[in-house]
Amino acid sequence: MAMTPSDRTEANRLERDIVQRCRGGEVGAFEELYKRFGSRLYTVAYRMTGSAADAEDLVQDIFLQVYRRLDTYRGEAALGTWLHRIAVNTCLDFVRSKQGRRRRVTDTGEDLDALEAPAAGPWRAGAELDRMELERAIAQLPPSYRRAFLLHDVEGLEHHEIGETLGIAEGTSKSLLFKARMRLRVILRGRPGER
Amino acid sequence: MERHTSADPACGRFAALIHDRVDGALDAGAQPELEAHLASCAACRGLLSDLDAINRTAADIPDVTPRPEVWTSLSARLAAEAAARPRPFWTGARVALAMAATLVVAVTSSVWLLRAPAPAAPTGASADSPAGAATGVIQSDRDLVQDVDEHLRIADEHYVQAIAGLEQVVRSGEGALDPALAATLQKNLGVIDQAITESREAIKTQPNSQLAQTSLFEALRQKVSLLEDTVALINVMRKGDQAGAAKILGGLSKS
Repeated sequence: MAMTPSDRTEANRLERDIVQRCRGGEVGAFEELYKRFGSRLYTVAYRMTGSAADAEDLVQDIFLQVYRRLDTYRGEAALGTWLHRIAVNTCLDFVRSKQGRRRRVTDTGEDLDALEAPAAGPWRAGAELDRMELERAIAQLPPSYRRAFLLHDVEGLEHHEIGETLGIAEGTSKSLLFKARMRLRVILRGRPGER
Repeated sequence: MERHTSADPACGRFAALIHDRVDGALDAGAQPELEAHLASCAACRGLLSDLDAINRTAADIPDVTPRPEVWTSLSARLAAEAAARPRPFWTGARVALAMAATLVVAVTSSVWLLRAPAPAAPTGASADSPAGAATGVIQSDRDLVQDVDEHLRIADEHYVQAIAGLEQVVRSGEGALDPALAATLQKNLGVIDQAITESREAIKTQPNSQLAQTSLFEALRQKVSLLEDTVALINVMRKGDQAGAAKILGGLSKS
């Protein structure tokens, strides 16, 4: 359910209070911060990496980054937005280094257009789209498609924000999202002409 | 190349407009043309409907909750970070103490359960729970006990570290205290040190003893508390605050 303006004001006040207490070295406050945002940031890590074990390590790295950088938080962006940015950047660094390692080993990049889709997908005509099926389909996307889709359609970032975060042009973000959605549709519905 | 999902290749140019419409970013000038096309093209209506559904469903994907052990592990890493951080001593000591206390509370409650004899029926709590299924990471009880032992060791280290810092402050300011009072405080600290030593000995011979572990942390807490009161006493004595000193001494005599 969407927050009312007074809910948002109260949440902002609470978050400012938590930040102040964290800066003062109050560990209980940091636990509150984790309770408030831990699931959100863990989910970002889980979706970006597709691995629960990696996400568990990453969410800890993210909160350590937050601990180190809390003094630099000026309150210009909402706390959640600031934390989200740290989370996405930490995850991207991880994903890039992992891809770099893999590339060095196999010397292969993403062959985005060679991916096979089944003749018929799990999303039947006339049926509601099942959330679990969508999540499974997202997991099958090539990494660059998946990142653009997750950041835009799941995390709600704008293309210029995705561009800044991923270090790509805004137009590239749009193009990746377009391809990701089309690819998801093929995975979910099956190959065109055979539905 | 990925094939267009629309039946008519001519529909391809409308696909981008359909995406824009899903995002609420369709240019007003393009809207009439797209609407006219949608009215006559079932394939593009299908594309719009599917992309709308994907977009709506994606926005509703719920968050995943990490396992509780993630916080336990994170709090240990934070404690180490806080201890290593170059900050004014007093802040660092307080953080280290609070971290140690958090770790003790977080892990002691579970470690004794894990060390207890296995229950008759499996609880299935880790493997069958949604969190367990989502994470796919199942830690054995043995691993968890080792993990918890490690956290207790870290908590112990933080107490010791904080105590060392407090002792340093006390040593540097001991001259401000009345010699008889300083001797009494030293005697009390000696009693607590004895309790700490005995608890450590007991843990060596009975590593699984909850009583020994609890006694150790209780003695460490007492020592920290007495040292903190001593530091506070030194501060008020230096300022010549007799009322403040009496208040602290009153508290000390009750504890």
